[in-house]
Amino acid sequence: MPGLGTTFGRGGATTAQQDLVNADAILIIGSSMAEAHPVGFRWVVKAREERGTLVIHVDPRFSRTSALADLWVPLRAGSDIVFLGGLVHHVLSSGRVFREYVAAYTNATFLVREDYRGPEDLEGMFSGWQQDARGYDTATWQFEVDESGRPKRDQTLTHPRSVYQHLVRHFARYTPEMVERVCGVPRDRFLEIADRYTACSGPEKTATICYGVGLTQHSVGVQIIRTAAILQLLLGNVGRPGGGILALRGHASIQGSTDIPTLYDLLPGYLPMPAFGPGTETLGRYLARHRTPSGWWSHFDRYAISLLKAWYGDAATRENDFGFGWLPRISGDHSHQGYWLDMADGRMDGLFVMGQNPAVGGPNAALERRALANLRWLVVRDLVETETAVFWKDAPDSATEVFFFPAAGHAEKAGTFTNTQRLLQWHEKAVDPPGDAKSEAWFVVELGRRLKTIAAADRSPVNDGLRALTWDYALDPVSGEADASAILKEINGWHVATREQVVGFRDLVADGSTACGCWIYAGVHPTADRNRANERQASGRYGHGWGFAWPADRRILYNRASARPDGRPWSERKALVWWDETRQLWTGHDMPDFPVGTPPSYVPPVDATGAATIAGDTPFIMHADGLGWLWVPNGLKDGPLPAHYEPLESPVVNLLYAQQDNPVADRRSRPDNQWSRSPDPDFPYVLTTYRLTEHHTAGAMSRTLSRLAELQPALFCELSPALAATEGVANGDVVSLVTARGRIQARALVTARMTPLVIDGHVVHQIAMPWHFGSTGLVTGDVVNDLIAISEEPNVKIMESKALLCRLERVPAQAS
Amino acid sequence: MTSLKAPVWTWEVPAYFFVGGVAGVAAAIACAATLAGGDRATIGAARAIALFGAAVSPLLLISDLGRPGRFLYMLRVFKLRSAMSVGAWTLIVFSGATTAALVYWIAAPAGPIVAAGLIVTDLVAATTGLVLATYTGVLLGATVLPVWAERHRTLPIDFGVSSLGAAASAVELVAGTTEAMVRVALAAAAIKTVFWLVSLARREPAVNRTISRATLLAGPLALGLRLAGLAWAPAHAAAALAALVGSGLSRFGWIEAGRADAASMRQ
Amino acid sequence: MPDGFFTDATLCIGCKACEVACKEWNQVPADGFVWTGRSYDNTGGLGHSTYRHVQFVERIREGGPAWDFSSDVCKHCERAGCLEACPTGSIVRTEFGGVFVQPDICNGCGYCVVSCPFGVIDRRPDDGRAFKCTFCYDRQKAGLKPACATVCPTESIQYGDLDELRARADARRDALAARGVTDAVVYDPRDTSIGGTRAIFLVRGSCDDYGLPAAPELPSVRLRAGWRSAAGTSLLMAIILAAAFLV
Ligand SMILES: Nc1nc2c(c(=O)[nH]1)N[C@H]1C(S)=C(S)[C@@H](COP(=O)(O)OP(=O)(O)OC[C@H]3O[C@@H](n4cnc5c(=O)[nH]c(N)nc54)[C@H](O)[C@@H]3O)O[C@H]1N2
Ligand SMILES: Nc1nc2c(c(=O)[nH]1)N[C@H]1C(S)=C(S)[C@@H](COP(=O)(O)OP(=O)(O)OC[C@H]3O[C@@H](n4cnc5c(=O)[nH]c(N)nc54)[C@H](O)[C@@H]3O)O[C@H]1N2
Ligand code: SF4
Ligand code: SF4
Ligand code: SF4
Ligand code: SF4
Ligand code: SF4
Ligand SMILES: [Mo]
Repeated sequence: MPGLGTTFGRGGATTAQQDLVNADAILIIGSSMAEAHPVGFRWVVKAREERGTLVIHVDPRFSRTSALADLWVPLRAGSDIVFLGGLVHHVLSSGRVFREYVAAYTNATFLVREDYRGPEDLEGMFSGWQQDARGYDTATWQFEVDESGRPKRDQTLTHPRSVYQHLVRHFARYTPEMVERVCGVPRDRFLEIADRYTACSGPEKTATICYGVGLTQHSVGVQIIRTAAILQLLLGNVGRPGGGILALRGHASIQGSTDIPTLYDLLPGYLPMPAFGPGTETLGRYLARHRTPSGWWSHFDRYAISLLKAWYGDAATRENDFGFGWLPRISGDHSHQGYWLDMADGRMDGLFVMGQNPAVGGPNAALERRALANLRWLVVRDLVETETAVFWKDAPDSATEVFFFPAAGHAEKAGTFTNTQRLLQWHEKAVDPPGDAKSEAWFVVELGRRLKTIAAADRSPVNDGLRALTWDYALDPVSGEADASAILKEINGWHVATREQVVGFRDLVADGSTACGCWIYAGVHPTADRNRANERQASGRYGHGWGFAWPADRRILYNRASARPDGRPWSERKALVWWDETRQLWTGHDMPDFPVGTPPSYVPPVDATGAATIAGDTPFIMHADGLGWLWVPNGLKDGPLPAHYEPLESPVVNLLYAQQDNPVADRRSRPDNQWSRSPDPDFPYVLTTYRLTEHHTAGAMSRTLSRLAELQPALFCELSPALAATEGVANGDVVSLVTARGRIQARALVTARMTPLVIDGHVVHQIAMPWHFGSTGLVTGDVVNDLIAISEEPNVKIMESKALLCRLERVPAQAS
Repeated sequence: MTSLKAPVWTWEVPAYFFVGGVAGVAAAIACAATLAGGDRATIGAARAIALFGAAVSPLLLISDLGRPGRFLYMLRVFKLRSAMSVGAWTLIVFSGATTAALVYWIAAPAGPIVAAGLIVTDLVAATTGLVLATYTGVLLGATVLPVWAERHRTLPIDFGVSSLGAAASAVELVAGTTEAMVRVALAAAAIKTVFWLVSLARREPAVNRTISRATLLAGPLALGLRLAGLAWAPAHAAAALAALVGSGLSRFGWIEAGRADAASMRQ
Repeated sequence: MPDGFFTDATLCIGCKACEVACKEWNQVPADGFVWTGRSYDNTGGLGHSTYRHVQFVERIREGGPAWDFSSDVCKHCERAGCLEACPTGSIVRTEFGGVFVQPDICNGCGYCVVSCPFGVIDRRPDDGRAFKCTFCYDRQKAGLKPACATVCPTESIQYGDLDELRARADARRDALAARGVTDAVVYDPRDTSIGGTRAIFLVRGSCDDYGLPAAPELPSVRLRAGWRSAAGTSLLMAIILAAAFLV
């Protein structure tokens, strides 16, 4: 998310799946789109079959996606920065850069501070390393500024300290030879791919990159996405039809649960969660910290205050900072990894698990199951009794009191899904939930009511926020359920005085007269009886009229970039949004992601504020400078540019730099979360994990259904015939897989779809496993995540579950 | 390779093939013996066997059905293109004719109308009986399993001749050895033996062991024993047993062959 | 109007949505949680409780791995072995051209099972009746597409007018050939005793890899010879009997 967010301004996918038909090439990397997004994949198939679009799949295993691709490129798991960096190098060194686009729409022209030093000079580190803090001081990553504080620029891109020249130098090592040595992709094969992919870019052509968790679940996950983003910017592939980066998200509404986040460090609409410590004691300081002088975030105050008004209603006044002090504060590492380790150490009393099954899906799942036994109480709300709900069956000494609440599934309640392309789609309730099953809304509303009752009686200051919270949802007299559309209306926002819905986020103000639950969703319910998420009149190229895409129903983000600086399309073939001279506005196939009336030639006056600070030729409006950031001076913890580090467990030493792995990543190493060495003769093989079309994540929704369970009834691991021969394993045998954390059993699926790779002259074998199995349901199997370690990528604290080390052992027939 | 489905039939079907065939030929024996004025014991035994078969066959068939309660749905339609439909109707007519013939036979002294009725029902029972003994071969031959389909011409002969020997043997075992039954049994065993020798000469691989054993029993062994019986009478009983067992076994062998054929096609 | 299926295996992504939708719509029971180890195919084949079956053919093509998927189904033969064999008249031809087993008629005699040249129909052990693809007759009557074709995300399963589908299959094969995919073949066995199928396919490689026989044969073509043989045998037996008593 920060990979895209820092580069382009927003964390969401820049494009829509329907737009893939407009691509000339599609690079799918770190995603098995055909398997995990089969319905969206239809657009890839359509593009390839009907328009001849080139489809490339880069993946350690030959999957159902590879089967439908023109080219499959096997690479070593965890080496993606080198592969994508190799493409960047190829673009830079072969003159394939879309210069006009890059010069106009990115920060390639900016000059970096003189005292910056990069991995080239520092053995893989960036300047600013603080050994004590195990992190970087980012001062040296900043731009050189002129007297007025604006970054100095070199439009010719030749200044040695320009971002462009920094890129050239930084990526100089990422040669085809290096790709061959590190990724295991033969040089000639790589060059063929590089040529064919880059040939599909320029004024007349565009190419899209689709990625999934094969890129994100790494100790360098964010920087891998960054590399992809840099590549797309250099090729001029962002904001244009058939271009962009399609982040293929997970659960049906996982995009929705980052927009209105279940993340600990964000408030709705990507407003940062305040933390303890200096800078966020008061609303004023909080706003000062996050509000930018120009660009879209100059409206930060409007969104934050409208949110507080939605939550605290009349109790939120200018005098009390609109209740800002009542917001909880971050007091430590509350990420998934962080709080589970706290739990394991007995530092947590209780836990609500709603719509999650960490006993199977969480990293180092055995540790997580043990951690549950240290709680005083656990509430599980799920459709079925999950492994998490019955963890105590394997923990006889556990004193945890477990409450299981049956939950209503999506067909049993109304609400919205926000899908991978930021599209909100309303769904009606189809059937009543069975028995006592209730929706999340029911549970949370009910919990809130009871807590408020307690708070009303106990008037201690800690309860002030709870008392102030608006909690006036009307409940259905029969079901007791809150009306989901009332909640959506609150999310959309209204004028406090009139209770009239706001039409869009432009209506929001910072004086407390508007309330809005999530500013980016403003416009989804623009009047009391118009729910745009529920509209189904698709028209035009992007199906406008079907659902509502945030922000403001824009389907392709940054689409101002589809036109030249002067407002004309780069080419007729790739026209998307353009400046209409006669009507003096932006128009085209999509809603312009730009102030509609701002002409291309507009230059903001020095004293401009808000939207008026956005120049007419700067498409990345969420950034203060309106540009795409090839170089990220702020917002990332592990460097302004992506550098390749090996996975935390790797079969090889880092061939690019002396620094072996991401210095800012955290192994959370401890006796119950151990690591192998890199390389390690005890654990010679690379282990990676993936999904099957037939199952869903931790399996509670698929292993319990016969229709799905019978399609993939057992846990298996995929390995190449060569590795099978080495280990004396035959197809169908039961084998053990062992990592520094644990040991599990699985059937061996020996297939030529897995292939050994030659890494720096040595053969490296990879083993791939689906991870959907557990102990409950119609079909059961060992928990693959017992093998995976808890670890933290520095920016989003995601675990590294896609590249580890393991060994394989045969299991004698009678023991299996 | 196409994977064909194995027959779902359980033991009742081969048992029916056997019982029906024996009963069918027994009715023909009864008819022939009656017309030729054969001895009453033989006629009675043949009629009893035919009637017994006519009664047991539907029970076997019903018991094999997935939905036994729907046996009579067999008679919803008559389809010439379905050997099973033709067979079901044949069995029904056969049962009726056999029963009626027995009644007429017991009542035969009653007069010319009854005598004529006996002849007509006997002829109907004999004709349908011979169809009953052979149609099962047609039924297997008109399926998709190669082991059967390839033998669609010989299976009716095989099943018919095998029933012939078995029926004669059964009548003989009940009513005692007669010259006529020995002749029939000899002919049947001889034909079987010829078939066996031909397949030996052609070096045809055995279909399966059950069928090989059945062939040896009903063919060369029965023939040998019959020839021995000409010199030493008790051997006839042994020959009859061999023919009966061989005939029964062969039906099981053929169903087994179908099952194995389908299994060999999977994988 | 002759309806039919065209399954374009070159568009199939092996997602098995067709299998699942079919089972869901027709409320077909599970038939075993058996891991086969044969690629991703744990279904095994068409049968009494599987009316759609996605095949997974792993092979080496042009030096690298290739994985072909194809969704198999009852062929709804023009002249159907199962229909002819059925002694109860349970199996009928519907107004949409489909071959349909009337579940309220079938008595489970099992004869259709050995009469299908494609090994499709089978008797469900616990139920006792024979089952196979219904062509979604109930949906057809309601003007809906079959469930499998409806859910297929890539239009690998196409449903409609058979002649039009045939033209589409040929055009698609030619288009693929023009693109260098020369091993795609249309399976449409019209010049055989079954007189063609209402489910035609476009597959890569040999039809045999997908269990599609080059020359499916209608079992009843052997009836005449069989009956002739039965009649001859009966005559022979009658002569033997007559001779035995008269000599
Ligand atoms: N059927 C089904 N659909 C799903 C889900 C499901 O469980 N089942 N889950 C949903 C969820 S929550 C999510 S997040 C998405 C995820 O969807 P995907 O991102 O497609 O998920 P995965 O299959 O886990 O991983 C994608 C691919 O990454 C490859 N891979 C592994 N390691 C590496 C690596 O180091 N580099 C590269 N380039 N590739 C690598 C794997 O082999 C795999 O093919 O799917 C969603 N859709
Ligand atoms: N090794 C490895 N581990 C991984 C991954 C990987 O690729 N490899 N992927 C990771 C990813 S991307 C993800 S998203 C996680 C997923 O891991 P989890 O989120 O822990 O797993 P799920 O099975 O998706 O859990 C969702 C639960 O919600 C329940 N549910 C469904 N609908 C509702 C509802 O409306 N209300 C309630 N209360 N419950 C509902 C389901 O029954 C299910 O049990 O796993 C992560 N773990
Ligand atoms: S499960 Fe739902 S969200 Fe996932 S691909 Fe299928 S239709 Fe789309
Ligand atoms: S494929 Fe088999 S089951 Fe289907 S219609 Fe043809 S003969 Fe009948
Ligand atoms: S099993 Fe049913 S459908 Fe099949 S032939 Fe017998 S009666 Fe007809
Ligand atoms: S037509 Fe209907 S019954 Fe036949 S396979 Fe498709 S979904 Fe199943
Ligand atoms: S639904 Fe379509 S794409 Fe999926 S397996 Fe079936 S035929 Fe193939
Ligand atoms: Mo996910």
